[in-house]
Amino acid sequence: MEPQVKRLKGSDCGGSDSWVAEPVLSDEQSADVELVAVYAAPVLDRKQTSRLVRQLNAVFPLDGLQHLKRVRTARDQNSPHPLEVLLCRSGEAADAAELGSLLPSDGNSWEGLGRPFVVLVPARPPLTRPQYQQASSFWPTSFHEDKRVTEALRGALFSPQQRVAMTSFMVAAVTAARAAAQLGMEAVGAAVVDPETERVVAVGHDLRGEHPLLHAVMVCIDLVARSQGGGWYRNQNRYPACSFAPAGPQGGAEPYICTGYDLYVTREPCAMCAMALVHSRIGRVFYGTGSAHGALGSRMKIHVHKDLNHRFQVYSGVLRGECQALQGDA
Amino acid sequence: MATEEGRKAEPEVVFSVTEEEINRWMSRAFEMARDALDNGEVPVGCLMVHRDQVVGKGRNQVNETKNATRHAEMVALDQVLDWCYQKNLDMRSVCRQTVLYVTVEPCIMCAAALRLVNIPLVAYGCRNERFGGCGSVLDISTANLPNSGTAFRCVSGHRAQEAVEMLKTFYKQENPNAPKPKTRTD
Repeated sequence: MEPQVKRLKGSDCGGSDSWVAEPVLSDEQSADVELVAVYAAPVLDRKQTSRLVRQLNAVFPLDGLQHLKRVRTARDQNSPHPLEVLLCRSGEAADAAELGSLLPSDGNSWEGLGRPFVVLVPARPPLTRPQYQQASSFWPTSFHEDKRVTEALRGALFSPQQRVAMTSFMVAAVTAARAAAQLGMEAVGAAVVDPETERVVAVGHDLRGEHPLLHAVMVCIDLVARSQGGGWYRNQNRYPACSFAPAGPQGGAEPYICTGYDLYVTREPCAMCAMALVHSRIGRVFYGTGSAHGALGSRMKIHVHKDLNHRFQVYSGVLRGECQALQGDA
Repeated sequence: MATEEGRKAEPEVVFSVTEEEINRWMSRAFEMARDALDNGEVPVGCLMVHRDQVVGKGRNQVNETKNATRHAEMVALDQVLDWCYQKNLDMRSVCRQTVLYVTVEPCIMCAAALRLVNIPLVAYGCRNERFGGCGSVLDISTANLPNSGTAFRCVSGHRAQEAVEMLKTFYKQENPNAPKPKTRTD
């Protein structure tokens, strides 16, 4: 009889515990928290807090620092003044840390504020939970959480069932890559999937031996076009590991290029292929292993470029071991 | 890596084009762009010229093929490949002495493709603010990129206003192939 306990432990998802799909985030999302110097002051009289905050909001509206809470509890628990309030950016006033020189005395009473001090606070709103945690260690910060990013960073975005399906799609890409290697092409394979129906729309591999620009992704994009009654190249016909499933008559909307589709590709796409995916309006990209000239994380991040009109999610590391082994074969 | 280094060390053929050549070939590229516009495609046209001979020409064919990568440059590069095949010539050696004339700055994808096949010089009309890969959005043309072919030089501005006007005319029309925006019911 099978040792049942062991089975349960070892095979909870996608065949292994080490299943990964690391989100490839923008530089802004991945960066350490950037800090800026501001003046703050202890609140000497707690009862004055709301009045002081109101006055400060009017005089120093914290332009560009709206993500910061105006008041925090003092870090030092033994402090005689348990609350501290943000005054202004330290660049906005002279270095003098006297209340009189920092705050205008036009009718407002600043009674209840203590001697100002300089403190480093997060310069930008946090974009991810790790950034939020880091930012909050400097000054209380508000955070508009993107739940998807948090779950993805925790490695908890995809259910065990989804992982099994996703693994099978990458296996299709790996199988195509092996076929390419057999033909003397580069060992790169790709599969395009409709995640709604889990239907594989196209599987293709590198055909650089035919044409220097027929990278696996370009081959797949054309196979998707063929599934929609279009397409340009016919040379894939000679390669049995390159195939597409014609889009059947469906109740839903007509498919439009790669809109809503996922791409599984064994190696991180180059700039040409990454931009081809932008033009094709791909939904998400999963790749196995990075590449020195990769444009979806390694050398560039075309999928999150602010000036481009289509952005998409990218995850790396799906079947990394198998995908790296392909590179070794080359 | 070693081959990449070796390639860089080769003495580069410095290509230049005369005003007369730009006038002559660009007017044909504009004819291609006009043809694209007449056929409901983004009006971009181009010519690949090798030793005073047209070895490839193209215009945008995205809607016709339902393949969003069928830009003028990609279409023309396919023709160059066919031409080389028929003449039994090596595509890369031909491309190293081929100039691209195109009405609009190549996009990031096309710029990367042009690097991969070692095109040394591109003459283009107007900038491509949406997708340009020769400086407008990213600078793929001259960037120092590993394993990504060779950098190329650009000569820009010829009949730029006319090229922009054609794009504006196109984008004023609705793309008949785009899916209708879904109205939210929830």
